[in-house]
Amino acid sequence: MFEFELPDVGEGVAEGEIVAWHVSVGDTVSEDEVLAEVETDKAVVDLPSPVSGTIAELHAEVGDVVPVGDIVVTIETEDSSEVGDEDAPAETDAGDADEDDAHTGEGGRVFAPPNVRRLAREIGVDISTVEGTGPSGRVTEEDVRAAAGAGGVDDETVESAISKADTDDGHEGGGDEDKEVESAVKQATTKRDDTVTTADTADRERTLAAPATRKLARDNGVRIDEIPTDKERDGEPFVEPEDVRAYAGAIVEAETAEPATAEATETAGREPADAGTASPEATAQTTEASVTREPYRGIRRTIGEQMEESVYSAPHVSHHDTAVVPELVETREQLTPRAEDRGISLTYLPFVLKALVAGLREYPVLNSELDEEAGEILYKQEYHIGIAVATDAGLMVPVVEDVDEKGLVTLADEVADLANRARSRDLEPHEMQGGTFSVTNFGAIGGEYATPIINYPETAILGLGGLEQRPVVEDGEVVARHTLPLSLSIDHRVIDGAEAAQFVNTLKEYLENPSLLLLE
Amino acid sequence: MVVGDVTTGTDVLVIGGGPGGYVAAIRAAQLDLDVTLVEMDAYGGTCLNHGCIPSKAMISATDIAHQARTAEDMGVFADPAVDLQGMVTWKDRLVRRLTKGVESLCENAGVHLVEGRAEFASHEQARIVKGGDGQGSETVSFEHAIIATGSRAIELPGFEFDGERILSSTDALALDSVPDSMVVVGGGYIGMELATVYQKLGCDVTVVEQLDDALPGFESDVTDVVRGRAEDLGIDFHFGLTVDSWTETGDGLRVVADADEGEAAFDAERCLVAVGRQPVTDTLNLGETGIVTGERGFIETDDQARTGHDHIFAVGDVAGEPLLAHKAFKEGEVAAEVIAGEPSALDSQAMPAAVFTDPEIGTVGMTEAEASEAGFDTVVGQMPLRASGRALTLDEREGFVRVVADGENGFVLGAQIVAPDASEMVAELALAIEMGATLEDVAATVHIHPTLSEAVHEAIKGARGQSIHY
Repeated sequence: MFEFELPDVGEGVAEGEIVAWHVSVGDTVSEDEVLAEVETDKAVVDLPSPVSGTIAELHAEVGDVVPVGDIVVTIETEDSSEVGDEDAPAETDAGDADEDDAHTGEGGRVFAPPNVRRLAREIGVDISTVEGTGPSGRVTEEDVRAAAGAGGVDDETVESAISKADTDDGHEGGGDEDKEVESAVKQATTKRDDTVTTADTADRERTLAAPATRKLARDNGVRIDEIPTDKERDGEPFVEPEDVRAYAGAIVEAETAEPATAEATETAGREPADAGTASPEATAQTTEASVTREPYRGIRRTIGEQMEESVYSAPHVSHHDTAVVPELVETREQLTPRAEDRGISLTYLPFVLKALVAGLREYPVLNSELDEEAGEILYKQEYHIGIAVATDAGLMVPVVEDVDEKGLVTLADEVADLANRARSRDLEPHEMQGGTFSVTNFGAIGGEYATPIINYPETAILGLGGLEQRPVVEDGEVVARHTLPLSLSIDHRVIDGAEAAQFVNTLKEYLENPSLLLLE
Repeated sequence: MVVGDVTTGTDVLVIGGGPGGYVAAIRAAQLDLDVTLVEMDAYGGTCLNHGCIPSKAMISATDIAHQARTAEDMGVFADPAVDLQGMVTWKDRLVRRLTKGVESLCENAGVHLVEGRAEFASHEQARIVKGGDGQGSETVSFEHAIIATGSRAIELPGFEFDGERILSSTDALALDSVPDSMVVVGGGYIGMELATVYQKLGCDVTVVEQLDDALPGFESDVTDVVRGRAEDLGIDFHFGLTVDSWTETGDGLRVVADADEGEAAFDAERCLVAVGRQPVTDTLNLGETGIVTGERGFIETDDQARTGHDHIFAVGDVAGEPLLAHKAFKEGEVAAEVIAGEPSALDSQAMPAAVFTDPEIGTVGMTEAEASEAGFDTVVGQMPLRASGRALTLDEREGFVRVVADGENGFVLGAQIVAPDASEMVAELALAIEMGATLEDVAATVHIHPTLSEAVHEAIKGARGQSIHY
């Protein structure tokens, strides 16, 4: 005869309302078959049968509110000596002498660590009557607390015992124990707040799964212990790859369905098990309703990782200067109609690219790469210049190859083509590889100077501000002139500030006197 | 009240400064209680002065000489000279350092130290009798008392200790020279440890034991290894004999024992009697408290170390078997914490124990028979030392690690280890038992290679049917 007591169906739930019975007296049930639906203040959950057998009695009717620990159903088992397994609920009826043998363990052994045994004494729980839910039925802190909650020891006692422990100073090592209790309480509280509002997230302490399955879970950003499964191996919950995929898929669905739900799932689902030890601020943040969460993955993540690598690998120095470019403006105006004849819109970028080649030829160290492993600086003989393009999906840097061998119109054409295809995400991966130097034209959107991040493992990047008329001093007078702000970032491991300044000077020279480009 | 008596009050009166007493005193002082510790002999008790520490010092020193002498297989040839007086002086020096240490630990914790013998005047007051005549006495009123008076060696009638021919274990740790021969009465752990020391020092040792094997209380395959090694060393064993009397024989003595058929006689230079220990309660005037002693004179206590009086506690040897310093430590701590109102209790799931024979024995928790008796579906894993790489590099082949577990869920229930450093190896399994760890937990824990602790790992795996190296 198995008397099934209402388990703590959510973390820290004190009672549940029977919403529906799926079985009636006389029914044969198998282990894990759903007996009833129980509504708590958190969710409606299915109540699976911990044993196989025949329903002997239902102790509650639909609509009854049953405290955790009260018997809800009596099941006649084939082998009545077999009382439950590790999935069985917390045993809470301290007075029931008949069942003592089942929990005490033979020979007076209690399978609980010393701190849990101490907690039980502290809050007045007879640990020999608590059935463990830990690995192999080990009694955990939560089990003891649950037993305290259900066994007539009210929360106040627990709390006062705990606060007593808190204020009870003066003993060596006690601080740690207190903290433990505190953090455990915090953890319980946090878990309560985070409890998922859908019932299909598990929260086990232990799950069997192959290493490959665990990796799949990690790759999908889900914890193996939260993946629902009804499979078992050696009596332990067992998760297989398809369970991981199904669960990960369900999370994505939930995320797209409704932001609030997504957030809750995210919070409960993605936080590591020891979330309770996080700082209160962090907890506050994660539960704040005004935050919209978006996964950090795909292109966003790739960009982030590249930026991280660049900034943490290469000490950046930025050099700023301004080229005064009325002649460049004039030249472009002259050439624009001719380019248009060939169906091409000529921007300033091809001029900059050609000027860059001139500068890089003079200062080849800016067209280099540091091979850290080999301990060598690689000077590139080719001038493949990356063009940073802002797209809806994020930053992309297609590469214009052999800039030195191409004319302005060809360059203009290629840049336009690459930028278009970047925006429509039609670039081939190889078109974004092999750059030796990069340019970012943030000025097209606005702004003058910036601190561009090097497109690692390149060693330099040029940022272009907006080409506009600005006040310039000429012959002691302030006049309006077209100027082009330049921001050059260099990898200071390879390039020194002097070289950067000289390089920018050369660049300015070519941009300010575009006829020099004829030499290139 | 005697003229000159001074009455003082204290929260906690601790009687006895051995492992149980000094730990209780320090812990109570840490918990902000006013503590008075009364010691009539030496701080550190039997353990520090006449037991664990001095015997281990002698064992280590003799082992160095013995190992040097017996390492020819390893290509080492040596014949070290042993100066027993030098060894004893070194041992006394480290004992002094440790007893001083205990004293200053107590003082630094704020424990009020009083030298003298404490006896109860009532269940609320004790008189402290100072040594010597006319020193007067002091009366202490206490809120709580912790009795930690320990134990002393049992004297056999007719074999009263004289420090010359008839030695107690205390005497045996302070000899001037190695006797040519020695009869050791009692084959328990104290007798076995000291018999081994003296045999290794070149003394011709004969062990006479009443029961039919050495080290009663241990399983026979455990004692077989240790007795076998002792026999290899040259120790003679005579079991089933009860010693009866002894006589002087010029430069030695003759010990006579009753045998099934007539008598047996053993000639030797000296005789060590190590037939067990009894609690010290006769100094206490216990009757004034109404506390009555139980079986074999021990004071009975509950799981919070309380005697029949809620405010009087007893810890350590005086509170009963097993007579182990670490049991006393634990009880002392619990008594102090209970007095301070903490929810402490003696709830250890297993009490580890070690015998420092050659090789050592380390045990914790249940034997296979005990586990099965208790109703567990017992599984056992055993790793013989001869399959351990590290053991072979120590030139050790005998001994084993055995782990007993619950076959149903894998909980570790007990272990028996016979090996060099078994006393250290057993700690891991004691932790496993306290934590409710399963075989899988320990099996999944990486162990350092090459170590003896690997044998623990392997035994655990063996219990899971997954041994790799055996």
